[in-house]
Order: sequence, then structure tokens, then C-alpha cells
Amino acid sequence: MRPTPPSSVLGLRVLLAAVPIAALTVAVPFVNRIEPRILGLPFILAWSIAWVMLTPAFIWSIGRLDRHW
Amino acid sequence: MSAPATALTIVALVVLGTILFALAGVRRIKMDPQQYIVGGRSFGTIFLWVLLAGEIYTTFTFLGIAGLTYSQGAPAYYIMAYGTCAYILGYFLAPAMWRAGKERGLLTGADFFETSYNSRALGVAIALLQFVMIVPYVALQLSGLQILLQIAGYGAYNATISTSVAFVILALFVFTAGLRGTAWASIVKDVFVLAAVTFAGIAIPIRFFGSPASMFDRIVQTHPHMLVLPFGTAFHGTIWYISTVLLSGIGFYMGPHSWNAVYSARSGDTLRRNAMLLPFYQIFLTLMLFAGFSAALIVPGLKGTAVDQSFLHVVQRYYPAWLLGFVASAGALAALIPASALLLAGASVITKNVAGDVFGIATSDAARTRLTRILVLVVALLALGVWLTAQRTVVELLLLYYNGITQFMPGVVAAFLWKRATAWGVAAGLAAGLVVAVPLAALNISPWGVNAGFLALAVNVAVLIIISLLTRAPVRARQGSGAS
Repeated sequence: MRPTPPSSVLGLRVLLAAVPIAALTVAVPFVNRIEPRILGLPFILAWSIAWVMLTPAFIWSIGRLDRHW
Repeated sequence: MSAPATALTIVALVVLGTILFALAGVRRIKMDPQQYIVGGRSFGTIFLWVLLAGEIYTTFTFLGIAGLTYSQGAPAYYIMAYGTCAYILGYFLAPAMWRAGKERGLLTGADFFETSYNSRALGVAIALLQFVMIVPYVALQLSGLQILLQIAGYGAYNATISTSVAFVILALFVFTAGLRGTAWASIVKDVFVLAAVTFAGIAIPIRFFGSPASMFDRIVQTHPHMLVLPFGTAFHGTIWYISTVLLSGIGFYMGPHSWNAVYSARSGDTLRRNAMLLPFYQIFLTLMLFAGFSAALIVPGLKGTAVDQSFLHVVQRYYPAWLLGFVASAGALAALIPASALLLAGASVITKNVAGDVFGIATSDAARTRLTRILVLVVALLALGVWLTAQRTVVELLLLYYNGITQFMPGVVAAFLWKRATAWGVAAGLAAGLVVAVPLAALNISPWGVNAGFLALAVNVAVLIIISLLTRAPVRARQGSGAS
């Protein structure tokens, strides 16, 4: 068994999990635009792709806080 | 060789080659139920990544995303978002499911419910429900396969017979190779799908428009409304989008076959690393959006179920037969590999939770493996029968399936987080959720713009809590379910 992480990181883990989910869901009405286009993509599509690509970094951070790696 | 013969020969060779490759991968494996159904709980990060990508990304990935993009545009973005949300939830949920499976020696999702709530009746009910859901989902894969074979044959013949033959070959493959065989076949499938998706999303826009960016320039000029979501409660508007992403993300790991894949992991950390790596696969889905938008400009005017064939029509019309053959091969594997995982899941719940637990037959290891194998063939024939008699469009069937399987989630989460939850509460919640979700989904009703499955989930949770509090607190047994 690994040592249990201190409870102070619990809130941080939840936050790290919630940010990409919120960016891909409740934030959508606020970024639901064509302009500014990024690399030719409409803004909402570029925004969504960017958050998909950022998500592994968030999950990696949660894993570090959990001391799984 | 004529064009249809060339393309169809390539599809046949690729599918048979994949099956032979996978059979070679499992040739030294001795099959007991643990090995056959959950891969001996030994899959490492890479092998499991390949299996998960192999069984998650179906013909819907291949045809449905491009089709939804072609016909409606922006609502199709949800496919990228929901998988990503699912992996974040999966980081927390999947290792807990795996640990329960390991500690209690579980083989199926129904085993999890049975042991968590100490109720064999609940386990049997879940097993039957999962079985009923698997059959149409397999039929969906057959519809996808038929479309692919028809297009690979340049529409010159009806592909019903060749689809049926391919599917029977697949069932015999699952009969022989089990979950590990599906994982080996997934290696080939993932390579083909990634190559085909890259071609569809990059090469097609370059040839017709110069680059993907200039393809979007054209859409901005001619169909700007396709690039953004309608606002608020409109059909497929922002409220539908948010609720659908959340709903599908929640339901993601609840597929009957997902349990087998989760149990097959070597450790909880294997699943956590997978949660981190799987979003990279989502990036490739973006390319199918590009393919769908391109098709909307190149071959406009398709209606109904034909929209799912839009980008294949582009390949068929403007590219050589061998290329069409390879693209159709990728699509055929995208139908067959998830179907193989589903056949195994359907057969294993009936063997373990109905035949074994209810009737006390096939409880020894050898008998259980044998019965699971026979049932793989039975489930396959049943799905084939359903498919030959009832057909709907690809995306609609997927939403129906997701609206159903998401309703398993409250019972799973409560097993980990709420000690007071009872078998009656879980069963009543599940039943209430399905009673709300399935009719609304079938009639395509979205109250206030919200995905109907989301409302059903709320009803499910409320009923679970109320009935649990009204029934006697459970004695939580955590022993094994009888599986070795």
C-alpha cells in the first residue's frame, strides 16, 4: 500500500478534475463562436481540441498528488 | 481485376489477416474462465490501451461522426468532449471497479452488483438487462459493416450475405480466442483506423481545398451556421450539448463489455495511466470532423441514413479502388472488433450470472469456459437475427444504448460511496431511470433542450435514495461470488 496523500490535496484533486470537464461543457456557450479562428479552425472547435490535449496533463497532476507516479 | 473486386478482396484479406494474427497471439494460452473472459487480469498499460481503443472506437467513430458533422456540423464536436470527460472520471472510477473485481474474483459487471449489494436477484436482473442491451448494439455494428461492404463493392450488390458471413467468422474467432484475442486483433484495428482517419481528415481536405484551414474558409463562407451550436434550448443546442457530453461521459465505463476490459488490467495504476493516455486517441476523432465537413462541400445533398456514408462516397468517387479497400477495411475492423468484445460480454453474463448462479450448471472451470464459448455463438446468431429484421440509423441507436447504460452508474457509485444503498434501491432506481429514458429517447424528445437520459439519471438517483432509505439497511458482504 502507498501512503495516503494528505487530505489537504483532496480539494486540489477535485479542482484539477473539474477544470477540463467544465471547459468542455459549461464553458461551451461562452466560446460558441467562429472568430477568432485558430490555425483556420473555428474558435469553439480549437478550444475543445486544446482542452482535450491539455487533459492528460491534468490527469498526470492528479496522479502525482495521489502519489501513483 | 474490376474496381469492386479489388476493394472487396483487400477488405477480405485484411479482416482474415487480422484474425490470423490474433490467433497466433493467443496460440499458447490455456483457456480457463479467468483467462477467456478477463484476460487473466494481466494486461499491462500498452496492451490495455490498445484493447480499450479497439473496443471503444466503433463504426460510430468511423461513419457516425462524419455523418453527424455532414448533416448538422457543430453538434458532432460532442464526441471529442465526452470521451475526454469520461477518462477524467475513469481515473477515479476504473481502479475502484478493478480492485473490487480482483478482491472478489469477479468476471462480469453483474457480479459486481451481486457482491456489492449481497443480492443474487440483483445480479441476475443486471445480467439479463445487459444481455438485452448488447444485442442491438452488436446489430448496430452489423449495420455499419454492411454500409462499408456495399460501398467497397461500389453498390453493385447487396452486402447482407457477406456481412453475415464476416460476422459468423468473427463469432468463431471469439469462440477460440476470448478477450486476449480481441486485444491482439485490436492492435491491427487501431493501426488501420488511425491511418484511415488521418487520410480522411488531412489528405481529403488537401486534395480538394488545399488544406484543412482553407476547407474551413469555404464552410465559413457557405455554411457558417454549421460551425457553431444553436444557442440554448434549440434542437442540438448548447443545453443539449452540455447535457449530452456529461451523460455520455458518465455512461462511458458502464458498457457491459467495459467491465471485462477493466478487470483485465494488471493493476489499478495500469487503469490510471490509461485514463491519462486515452485522450490522445480523441485527437484523431477531430480528423473525422474534418472529413465530415469536407464531404458536406464535395458531395452535398445526402439525406437520412445516407449521411453516414458521406465521406466514403468521396473516397469511392475520387480515389482508386485499392485505397477505398483499405479505408473500408479499417471500417470493417471498427465494426468487428468491438462486436467481438460485446459477444464475449453477453455470453459471460449468461454463463456466470444466469446459468451458473440461478441454475447451478457449468460451475466448474472447464464447463464454464465451454458454455461461454457456445453462448458466444448463440448471442451472435441472435444479434444477426435482430439485425436482419430491424434497422435504424447508426447515431440514433448509439444514443439509445448510452441512455440505457448510463442508468447503471448510480448503483456503481453508491456501492463505493454510500453504505446505506440497498439492492431494492438500486433496482428501483435503475428501473425508473430506464422507464423515463428509453421512451423519451425513442420518441426523440428533449425536454427544455436537455438530453432525456440526463433527466432519467436524476430520477434514477432520487428513487435509489428514497427506496434505499425505506428498505432495511444492507448487510454488506464482501466475499467472492463463487468464481475462482
